[in-house]
Amino acid sequence: MKLRWNVVAPLALLVVLAGLPLFATEYMLHIGVLVLLAAYLATGWNILGGYAGQHSLGHSLFLGIGAYTSTYLFAQIGLTPWIGMWVGALFAAIVGWFVGYLCFRYGLRGPYFALVTIALAEAMVYLVTNLNALGGAEGLDVRWVGHNPALMQFEGKTAYYYIILIMTALLLFGVQRYSRRRFGYQMIAVRENEDAAEALGVDTLAVRIRALVISAVVTALGGVFFAQYYTYINPRNVFGEGPSVQMLLFAIVGGLGTVWGPAIGAILLVPIAEFARSSLGNTFSGAHLLLYGVVLVLVMLFMPNGIVGLVQTLERRRRGGRA
Amino acid sequence: MSELLQVRNLTKHFGGLAAVQDVSFDVNKGEIVGLIGPNGAGKTTTFSLLTGFLTPTRGTITFAGRRIDNLKPHVICRLGMTRTFQIVQPFPEMTALENVMMGALVHHRNIDEAQRRGRNTLARVGLAHKADTPGRELTLVEQKRLEIGKALATEPQLLLLDEVAAGLREAEVDVILDLVRQLNTEGITLLIVEHLMKVIMNLSQRIVVLDFGQKIAEGSPAEVSANPLVLEAYLGKEED
Repeated sequence: MKLRWNVVAPLALLVVLAGLPLFATEYMLHIGVLVLLAAYLATGWNILGGYAGQHSLGHSLFLGIGAYTSTYLFAQIGLTPWIGMWVGALFAAIVGWFVGYLCFRYGLRGPYFALVTIALAEAMVYLVTNLNALGGAEGLDVRWVGHNPALMQFEGKTAYYYIILIMTALLLFGVQRYSRRRFGYQMIAVRENEDAAEALGVDTLAVRIRALVISAVVTALGGVFFAQYYTYINPRNVFGEGPSVQMLLFAIVGGLGTVWGPAIGAILLVPIAEFARSSLGNTFSGAHLLLYGVVLVLVMLFMPNGIVGLVQTLERRRRGGRA
Repeated sequence: MSELLQVRNLTKHFGGLAAVQDVSFDVNKGEIVGLIGPNGAGKTTTFSLLTGFLTPTRGTITFAGRRIDNLKPHVICRLGMTRTFQIVQPFPEMTALENVMMGALVHHRNIDEAQRRGRNTLARVGLAHKADTPGRELTLVEQKRLEIGKALATEPQLLLLDEVAAGLREAEVDVILDLVRQLNTEGITLLIVEHLMKVIMNLSQRIVVLDFGQKIAEGSPAEVSANPLVLEAYLGKEED
């Protein structure tokens, strides 16, 4: 049987990543968690933004819903985040459905949809800031109860690393699988040409809403992990523009609408940004943000289809040009 | 013969402009019906009304015994009526095969099955050798064929072709003509809009003529081409 690199390479990568905690320092593991979380979130954003072509600039809305739901439920009634994460996912799904229905039913597309998502996420920042029940501007702590796997709290970083590794691996597996199924093709068709898709029997409204709901659920689960890992959330760091921008940045740099693009974008950019932050943080704070900006401009100019797109183009040329 | 499509008093206003006004006609099972008229006569608007891309201001459309004038395009497609677009609408980043597969996926959820049917359809429209070429890299002629292939893959009972021969050379037009005839003998009913008289007169068993949004004539190609109203619409009124 022919060796299929698109199966072998991810498995090899998974094995390497799974072995990393055996010899990595805590700091390396921390970077690993950041990379994987970024890869996970960008991959989730890419379902809606890359495949279905609806660019959300306010995906932190769903990140925040996940994070606040599980954290609030744990603080108030002691509900374990293992269950709270699904409550958060449900809320995100409901909100996602409403946003999708309202936007897409009434024909909001492209930049208008993007603006609505920014507005909603930003509105949540102010709403939560003014809600004392949710900790207001100070945010919420995830109370440390000691090492307790049942409450998703762990000593050290190894367990967190494995959780996000598994989440990311499952998500990538799911995207790879479903992007080659009916729904995956329908999302691409909606992105490529809405009228043509509709004429060929694709319920374009339903497909876009579904893509948004799936993407929202994925993002909310990521938000729960975010809260458990940092053990602290506030309106700006989960609902703010920072997470929203990172999600789409990694996806665009890696390659929109590709399985591996967003993860590759995160793997390349997060360590560089962290290095910039830690080495220049004192003298030049915000250096990593500047770096993101520069990288984005360069990618737009020289490889508008992202890293994966560039590789595909080169591959095609190598195989004897444009068919 | 039984009616597959029944159009009654179809009317569409855009603001004060009546793009289509009280148009009624039938399409019977197994027929090829031509829809002609000068520029701006309302042919493409009629197509968009029939396939749900526009909602009629007034009038009814009945397809296979069912009112469809308030249904969305994707539902109408599933019921068995599919259109092509005058300005070709490929999915640019998808390969030709994937383009056609999108049509097949309407009735076949399984990707392998859709792919198999997609290949058959591509072969029928003469694009088998272009299966792996992205839609955007096809020539206009190929995109025209792809447009038919996509619609065909939805397995329509009634296929609406909007100027599929426009912009093609003589020999290419003949190929399309043969294909349309072939589809008809296989049992597909066709409603075609076409500017090229050669195509329409050759193919149609019956022709409906529109002018300024109204039906001005209907009949066999011979009848229609002898109709003074039609001549006037196309050539202008003779001075006394």
